[in-house]
Amino acid sequence: MFIYYIKKVIRAKSFLFWNLAFPLILMTCMHFAFGNIYNIENNISPMNAVLVSVGEGNYQESFETVMTELSSDDADRKLFELSYADSIDSGRAMLEQDAEVLFVVTDDDISVTLAKKHSSTAGAVARGVTNSFRQRYALMADAFESDPASAASVLQMITEEAEQSFAKPADNVFSEEPNPYTWYFYSTFVMAIFFDSMSGVNIVGDLKADVTREAMRFSVSPSKKSRMIILAFTARLIPCLLIAAVQLAVMKLVFGLSLGTDPVKLIIFVVSAVIFSIGFGVMCGLLFKGNVESRANKATAIVMTSVFLSGEMIMQIPGLFEKYCPIINDINPATVINMAFYKMAVCGNDAGFYLNIIKIIGLAVLFLVIGVIILRREKYASL
Amino acid sequence: MAEILKVTDLVKRYKELIALDHFDMSVNEGEIFGLLGPNGSGKSTCINCIMSLLTYDKGSIKIFGKEMSPKEYDIKSKIGIVPQDVAVYDSLTVYENIDFFCGLYITDKEKRKKYVQEAIDFVALNDFVKFKPKKLSGGLKRRLNIACGIAHKPKLIFFDEPTVAVDPQSRNKILEGIEQLRKGGATIIYTSHYMEEVEQLCDRVLIIDKGHTIAEGTIDELKGMIKKSEIITIEASGVDEKDIEAVRELPNVYSVDYKDNCLKVEAGSGKHNVIDIVNILQDKGYRMKKIFSEQPTLNDVFLELTGKQLRDE
Repeated sequence: MFIYYIKKVIRAKSFLFWNLAFPLILMTCMHFAFGNIYNIENNISPMNAVLVSVGEGNYQESFETVMTELSSDDADRKLFELSYADSIDSGRAMLEQDAEVLFVVTDDDISVTLAKKHSSTAGAVARGVTNSFRQRYALMADAFESDPASAASVLQMITEEAEQSFAKPADNVFSEEPNPYTWYFYSTFVMAIFFDSMSGVNIVGDLKADVTREAMRFSVSPSKKSRMIILAFTARLIPCLLIAAVQLAVMKLVFGLSLGTDPVKLIIFVVSAVIFSIGFGVMCGLLFKGNVESRANKATAIVMTSVFLSGEMIMQIPGLFEKYCPIINDINPATVINMAFYKMAVCGNDAGFYLNIIKIIGLAVLFLVIGVIILRREKYASL
Repeated sequence: MAEILKVTDLVKRYKELIALDHFDMSVNEGEIFGLLGPNGSGKSTCINCIMSLLTYDKGSIKIFGKEMSPKEYDIKSKIGIVPQDVAVYDSLTVYENIDFFCGLYITDKEKRKKYVQEAIDFVALNDFVKFKPKKLSGGLKRRLNIACGIAHKPKLIFFDEPTVAVDPQSRNKILEGIEQLRKGGATIIYTSHYMEEVEQLCDRVLIIDKGHTIAEGTIDELKGMIKKSEIITIEASGVDEKDIEAVRELPNVYSVDYKDNCLKVEAGSGKHNVIDIVNILQDKGYRMKKIFSEQPTLNDVFLELTGKQLRDE
């Protein structure tokens, strides 16, 4: 019986497509679309830069200080291998050799010239640094006049800002711009797990005689309902877990994503999230009316809405909810699962991880208890 | 013959609608019992109540002498059902489907293997065992549906309109199969709104409409319940109204209709109905081309008892 249940599940093309193939396709597309961002975010190697100061003033001196800080081996994130040139011509000559970017700073402005062969990150970094400096210089000039001591802290601020622009703090998962590369991948993985809800809906279809004719055969047979529930649930759970394992392996080995440092926590997360999703599907299957397809369609609508609100397409959404209406993040299942995963894999935030896991397990148990009570019913008011 | 199923005073309501109204039914061992009624008459509701799938408001259902309930696994193990809609899994093959549903009743693998093969032989699906149901024709799917319901060799089998949307060849095979099952010792409860099938197959018939028993008995007993026992049709051209009136005045005749040179007479039981009518027409010099006499059908029984056609769909 169990083997047939498993066969039934793994032969369902829609199950394999939505739970396995679609998330992997989406991840592959995202890898090509956002792989460069990942490089900017994580793999910026210091670029060769040439600085030419034309004249001697506070503006040039301040910029030179910022560039020196960003080129220092002691910097949190070293962005430049900095060389100096006496003139613009010699700077350009160096640009034609091995430098990637030329900064020419005058009394009141900075010009940026990129080498013909420059990396895609060079322009973004150079512009980011110069723009940050321009915006903050007025503040710094005031500080020089009124309180020279505070000018140093403004300079520090500019340096830190430039460093942070290219190294987002990972623990701020509700920041307006969380790390997009990891965020979209984790959201997609969570979406794939949440698609397991369809398995829950199908369990209802397997066992409720007022939903499918096949279930009617179960109800009239001498097989005990509790046994059928365990068989149906286990036969759905195992393929879902295997699929999640495949996806995690691809995320780790192909896309180079962090899955955290503790495999036990990862297993706890995956098992509880899959059970939660199946339980959620069981609840949807029981609450909605109509045939299995109709119930599954309604459940899909809820799952997709939940996934959308968790930031699968627009990653800033959960950050906005956290700011204006945090309860939505607390009750949105996809966000709760997403947060548990993100906090485990990226932030190493144990408290946050376990809080979300407790929520997931609590709801999973609740859904399954209600589900089992209703599914064990033997007689119906109507069929 | 032992009474295998007894339904007494069964009442089932769907809010305001009374689907079964103090319904009684009794089925004896080894018979094919027909439950005949138009769509929505309460046939499927009755079966679902008997199978303990539906709650009911009042009444008693006894199967094999025991009160039926969802926990009566012993009774359930002796029952088979062939539902109206094909209830098989599209992702499993023909063999796997039969084995799967047989597995709900038979846990012994060797025994089940034998039973499944016998069911496949019975419905003649040997050439299709590795096919998925999607690839089967409507008739073959119906046969698979039957195999899934009877593989565990039940003693009491419910066939809920098993021939709906089936081609005549498959229909005949299904009906022959049901007859074979009875010969094998099973008791059959057969619901349909196809009166020809019921007439051909059933030993006893219960006619149900709006949850009420309209009539119950053998086919002959049911036909005996109505005054019409013969329909005589004679092709003769130019019959006068005066002569039609003479036919109408014959004893036993209660309805005469003359249309398109065709005289149609409905008569009650009488030994010489045809001869009496033919004599009148011969005496008046009419030439008769065709003469035939038909027995009333179950539809006529239903029509006379309820005032409407059985196939009021």
